Amino acid sequence: MAKGRVGVLTTYHVHEDGKRVIYGGAERYGIEFTRMLVEMEYDVTWWQIGSGWTQEVIPGVPLHSVPLREAAYQTCPSLNRAFFEQADRIDHAVYFSTLLAYPQAFERSIAISHGVYWDYPTWETIVPTERHRAEWRARWYAALNKPQKVVSCDTATIRFITATWPGLAEKLEYVPNFVNLEEFHPPDADAGRASVRVLLPRRLTAVRGINETLTAMERLLAAYPQLEFHLVGRGHSDHQERDMLRWAHEHPRAYYYWRPPHLMPHVYRNMDIVLIPSKAAEGTSLSCLEAMAVGRAVVAGCTGGLTDLILDGYNGLLLRPVTVRTLVEAIEALVTGPDLRRELGERAEATARAFGLDQWKERWRRVIERVFR
Amino acid sequence: MPRLTAMMPVRNEAGRYLEEVLENLLGYVDDIVILDDASTDATPDICRSFPRVILHRNPEPLFSLDESVLRETLWRLTVATEPSWILSVDADEMLEERMRQEAPALIGQDEYDCVEFRLFDFWGGRTHYRVDGGWNPWARRVRMLFRYRPGQVYTWPRQRLHCGRIPLEAREPLPVYQSDLRVMHLGWVRPEDARRKYEQYRERWSGPHLESVLDPPEKIRLEPWIPGKLLPY
Repeated sequence: MAKGRVGVLTTYHVHEDGKRVIYGGAERYGIEFTRMLVEMEYDVTWWQIGSGWTQEVIPGVPLHSVPLREAAYQTCPSLNRAFFEQADRIDHAVYFSTLLAYPQAFERSIAISHGVYWDYPTWETIVPTERHRAEWRARWYAALNKPQKVVSCDTATIRFITATWPGLAEKLEYVPNFVNLEEFHPPDADAGRASVRVLLPRRLTAVRGINETLTAMERLLAAYPQLEFHLVGRGHSDHQERDMLRWAHEHPRAYYYWRPPHLMPHVYRNMDIVLIPSKAAEGTSLSCLEAMAVGRAVVAGCTGGLTDLILDGYNGLLLRPVTVRTLVEAIEALVTGPDLRRELGERAEATARAFGLDQWKERWRRVIERVFR
Repeated sequence: MPRLTAMMPVRNEAGRYLEEVLENLLGYVDDIVILDDASTDATPDICRSFPRVILHRNPEPLFSLDESVLRETLWRLTVATEPSWILSVDADEMLEERMRQEAPALIGQDEYDCVEFRLFDFWGGRTHYRVDGGWNPWARRVRMLFRYRPGQVYTWPRQRLHCGRIPLEAREPLPVYQSDLRVMHLGWVRPEDARRKYEQYRERWSGPHLESVLDPPEKIRLEPWIPGKLLPY
């Protein structure tokens, strides 16, 4: 007998065509979150944008899709309403991003913030005037206000919300992201390789710093014959993946591929330096935590939740701003400084122990038991 | 270790790609179940010359009568080897070299039950593949590798042609992994093979995709094949 029925509303767990599978951090978060709810004996169903197809998030947990009819100010009122109507037999709801709780939310519901997402320059094209910005703020306030709790994966979002609307402070819970420490741990012995391997383990989007990284790596590969560059992650489109394959082909010691999540620990253990050069829209990145847990030297953008994980110069390097110049300087320092790599990596590994999957589940369980009682 | 079995229908493949396809497969599968559809050339001898090949022969050709019967027969012979995973492959298809490195890890997991690959139709040679219209390999994926579940009932659609390479139950929404490993399809490399396949299919099927086989060169868009790199770890 299930403890209750939980409906989860997201925008995209897979591509809206129901075919292209996305292997990003939010999707992996969704899978672990679903496993946790199932472990807690909830009956779980997901909804997202799509043409009406049904898939599964994990075996036995359906993912239904409903068409998106309107979207404005990053809210999806028609999706919200369709969820409200189709999920009428659920007992509890989870809005997988906060704005999905607009304009209405189930009484016993939780919204999740995966980090600040309005901190990149093109955001102004979405809310170009003060009138637009006022409408976005009004909708977001309504979306934050409706669920019983808002769980944020980083403190940057919490600080922004509490500074803007102090009255919402009691609603906010901090549950930082996780790393599975049983899977992500340093190798028994580091290989005595002459080569130095740099890894970019992200989805290949502009906001994740792909453009600056490619230019920086072109320069560094030419300057340091011992350097290898591994670009590991899916693109934002099929054709970008072709272009990345071509780019890697044209540059010696550059590799482009991706791996299923269960093989990523092996990938990290075979690297020396990991780049998380996000420019914006970042939470407490799963990739960053995984790289840290494996004891790698991390170079990260000084943005969003990454500052909850890394103290510049202590357990990694933070870049502000993320440019070709700052990337080249940081990577050069690590390529030519094996002791710096080792020190940063050891402290990163110790830091990651505070972000274990079990701790994440425990923090989440406390929130769920209060809201879904 | 999970057992990976390849299943492959063949007919009159001598002088084409069968040897290199079998060589490629032996780099990562445990055995290869082949159903020879009454070849009249040296195909059975070629098959027998390779280790770990389990060859069966039809006395009369089935493909031209009913592909679904051929596929179902091959399926029965394949599952008799008690595989953990099955790779459904044709005699003119090869996964790129990295599959040798990655196959054990690809199937040695419980996160997903099937794997999809991008399939590249090489055209007029081995340097370029076709990308116009329905030939675009970047936008479509082929499910060729899947977990076999002994207790599961597997069925095939009653279709004389294009009944699919895997059973219906393996086409359902299953936890899927979309691999970056690419499949090289060599069936359209030689113009004479393309013409022969076109004539064969045209007897039982029509449609714009089939007609595009005969497109004049100015209508065909090709892209150069980007050679894959073996990973250094």
